[in-house]
Amino acid sequence: MDPNLQLMLYLIPTIVGLLLVLPFGRSLVTPFAESYPSLGTERGRVFFGLILTCIAGAAVSFQTLWISSKISEGGNFCSADTVFSCDDVIGNAEYNVDPIFGLPWGGIGAATFCILLYLVYSSSKEPNASWVPLHLRLGVLITFSGFFVIALLVYYEFQMEKICQYCTTAHLANIGAFIGFLRLMRMDDTKEWNDA
Amino acid sequence: MKHMYDEEADVRTTALIRVMALFFVGIMIIAATTSPIATGTKEGERAPALEGKFYNGSGWSDFNLESYWDPTWEEGDITGQWVVVEFMDTDCPYCVQSAEEIAINANDFANSDNGWDGATVNFIASVAELNIQGHDSSRAEMIAFRNKIADSGESCAGSDCGSRPGAAHNFPYIDDLDLDNMQKWKVSGTPSYYLIQPDGIIAWSSAEHQGEELRDAILSLVPRESA
Repeated sequence: MDPNLQLMLYLIPTIVGLLLVLPFGRSLVTPFAESYPSLGTERGRVFFGLILTCIAGAAVSFQTLWISSKISEGGNFCSADTVFSCDDVIGNAEYNVDPIFGLPWGGIGAATFCILLYLVYSSSKEPNASWVPLHLRLGVLITFSGFFVIALLVYYEFQMEKICQYCTTAHLANIGAFIGFLRLMRMDDTKEWNDA
Repeated sequence: MKHMYDEEADVRTTALIRVMALFFVGIMIIAATTSPIATGTKEGERAPALEGKFYNGSGWSDFNLESYWDPTWEEGDITGQWVVVEFMDTDCPYCVQSAEEIAINANDFANSDNGWDGATVNFIASVAELNIQGHDSSRAEMIAFRNKIADSGESCAGSDCGSRPGAAHNFPYIDDLDLDNMQKWKVSGTPSYYLIQPDGIIAWSSAEHQGEELRDAILSLVPRESA
């Protein structure tokens, strides 16, 4: 399958998730609200969008890890002469691991999105539990820290003069997740949280 | 039979198990479908990039080690291009001494004209300027050393560069005077040699085989028609 077409498998859910967590996402789910009542509430919609974003973020991070492993074998996946060449970015041994522990960025992304998924999924299952505010605050903290990692990785891309479209999708998922966690954290303890 | 469920059970446990299952399935798929090779300078690892301007006898241009690699190469295939990377300093006495041996090896294993019936072995020198007193190098010194130019005014380890033993070298010399490559490859001293397979994997390194000659390593590892 063409790598850019395959990217759509991750990019579309990420964008849909991002739109759902935004305040104007309500209009997107109106046609489905009758069949899926949870989407009819602000909390339900943001939870759904956030779960979708975290799953897409984890999936694209796993794909990135897979690509870096394939490149290390000597193969290629999405090499191109244009500025969009994820092989050049993910395959760069100097930049494709974190500078402290030497762990691949794809693996860090996958683990982080799985943690975020756990935080949001458990909160969505029991939204009035006493630990939910803590989970939401942790989600905000983790995704906010993600902005520093994104800044570093974008700096690397500038250095290489190449853009990794798979990495950018993961960055977008982090932005969506940050907005979602932030909105849920602010919504918690308001009347809107328990609106039917 | 009526089942009793604990409605008060903490949903966090269920969520954790499900997410962990998802994570491990992802890791298992990657483990089952790939065989990652680490990038490094130990035998069996993928050689890191070697960057800088190189001199090929006529001028300086950008060097790209990756241009030598063939990812489809398979063990035993004699059509692949092997690479020997030598890390050296033109002011290191032992590098000056071994220049003759390197010239002979580069000539003997370059092609079949000299009776060599094995895969082509390309030689590359990455020339550093070690942070040792008296080791002051330059591109002019590198050229004088490589081409064995007599009375150039350049001094290599205290003698005229043109008086070094052996013939002139005809392989690329990379400018690593800023020690970037040497640090990236974690080279501890000069001269150091790496024999690299056509797929970019390090087959032999002098650091891991103290006392073993580069020539013996080439003869034992590089495939030959007669073998």
